[in-house]
Amino acid sequence: MLYEAKNIVKRFGNVSALDGASINVKAGEVVGLVGDNGAGKSTLVKVLSGVVQPDEGQVILGGEERYWGSPEDALEAGIETLYQDAALAADLTISANFFFGREHLRPGLLGRLGVLSERRMNAETRESFAQLGTQVPDPRRLISTLSGGQRQTIAIARSVAWAKRVLLLDEPTNHLGAYQKTQVLDVIRKARDQGLGIILISHALPEVLEVTDRIFVLRLGKLVSEGPTQSYTPDSLVRAITGLTV
Amino acid sequence: MPGVQSRQFVEGQAKERREQGTFSRLAELLANQQVLLLGFLVVMIAAFSMANPRFLSLASFGNVLQDWAPAVLLAAGQTFVIITAGVDLSVGSVMGLSAISAAMIGRSLNEGGQPPSIAIGGALLGAVVVGLVCGLVNGVLVAYVKLAPFIATLATMAIAAGTTLVITNGVQVGGAPREVSRIGSSAFASVITIPVLVTIVAVGIAGLVLKFTRFGRWTYGIGSNRFSASAVGISVERHLVKVYMISGFFAALAGLFVYFRLGAGSPTTGLTMELTAIAAVIVGGTSLFGGRGTMTGSALGAFLVTAVISGLILAGVQPNWQQIVVGMLIVLSVITQQVTTRRKL
Repeated sequence: MLYEAKNIVKRFGNVSALDGASINVKAGEVVGLVGDNGAGKSTLVKVLSGVVQPDEGQVILGGEERYWGSPEDALEAGIETLYQDAALAADLTISANFFFGREHLRPGLLGRLGVLSERRMNAETRESFAQLGTQVPDPRRLISTLSGGQRQTIAIARSVAWAKRVLLLDEPTNHLGAYQKTQVLDVIRKARDQGLGIILISHALPEVLEVTDRIFVLRLGKLVSEGPTQSYTPDSLVRAITGLTV
Repeated sequence: MPGVQSRQFVEGQAKERREQGTFSRLAELLANQQVLLLGFLVVMIAAFSMANPRFLSLASFGNVLQDWAPAVLLAAGQTFVIITAGVDLSVGSVMGLSAISAAMIGRSLNEGGQPPSIAIGGALLGAVVVGLVCGLVNGVLVAYVKLAPFIATLATMAIAAGTTLVITNGVQVGGAPREVSRIGSSAFASVITIPVLVTIVAVGIAGLVLKFTRFGRWTYGIGSNRFSASAVGISVERHLVKVYMISGFFAALAGLFVYFRLGAGSPTTGLTMELTAIAAVIVGGTSLFGGRGTMTGSALGAFLVTAVISGLILAGVQPNWQQIVVGMLIVLSVITQQVTTRRKL
């Protein structure tokens, strides 16, 4: 296993958001994490990305137990997260967003003074997008001038480009049109082929059934079902999520 | 001749595109608040010169520069803060406290028989430390205690203003080495004094940092989307503390400017200057919601606000109208901002 969370418990006051939840992903694999609203999907992702510290349970990366004190710890270990409602800074350019927090500086004295190398960042942004086959406008354009779909595509491309080992995607196709959804799924497949371990959280069950290799189902903070994607039908997946036998 | 036709068509399209380019560039230029600002400045200077020809003299330009310098210093620090979607209401009071601290340290070193260089050095250091400490307090309250910037800096404003009155009893602090006012008044080209020169250099450096460095990039990014900044691993809290310390540092420079100009410390230094500084930044096109703004805009904005005030005085308008005009300028520029951003979306 590349990345694992085992028996995670997380309480917020009297509410237990996670009550013994587990998930794991191999390198070069897409794993789906599904469940109803309030099942604990987002909390589990936050545990995996270091935003939330679990009360109990283990987080294991490459066979080694790890503790994330902050999102930076997880980022440094090569775990990249795309949060729900893409976190781009609308007033910055595409390339500034792409390199946000990891800016290239000029060589020499200017770099030591913190001066940015815009040209290098623009060029590398263009290159990364081309590699992923994403159509993007000029990297010098402001995010605020782009459509919602374009923004999401850029956000996903950014997390794929920076992910070293694991990519966590929280509802990446939310608010997207049909064509953009297929683009996003293509990017996910490409990232998988590059050897990343990908955890996909989504409400859109047809997508989950289409792109994932295995599925984990959460209900009320507990893992209630897991298995290869082929073992689920749309109906059986809905039954697992709701717990109702129709 | 299909070939010719299509070539004509392509050329026609290209021409259309060129024309569209020129047009949209023109529209962009008009939507650019700095260009609007420059136009407004030109019109205003022309109007004031007609009302009173003395407005267009070197002497009155020198006077405007003397008022502009403390305003632009405060505005420079304020620009960083407002770009992070914050506000620093304490700058006027911190400016006053810094000026008074400089004056008291300068006096006690001077009267203690120290050479002027030591007395002036002590005054400079004292003021800067006061400014940085006030900025640190603001930054910690905003970033770590999570107070709204408005409340945190309102508290510091009250504390700094109160401290100034307590330590001076409301009386001017004299006893500075004579060199202080000599430095403050010796001028190149009869208008550029040493403190004005220092102001231009300091604001220039601040502008370069904002535009070209990673520090500036993070400042814009945090103001634009704070969550995004922390998600990519930037320590937003630490950065905010630095930003408020920059504002405090520039408030100290503004206090020092007045100290050198008067050759003494006045307890009323910086009174209502936070209003002027915020007006300059907003007039200069920086968004109160964060993420947008430029140092050039703030420098122009500060010039506009101070030139309006001295122009009105020269035109024979009662000085009491100043605050009203500054208030109207703020309203006008916020409306301009809203109209231009709406057009862009």
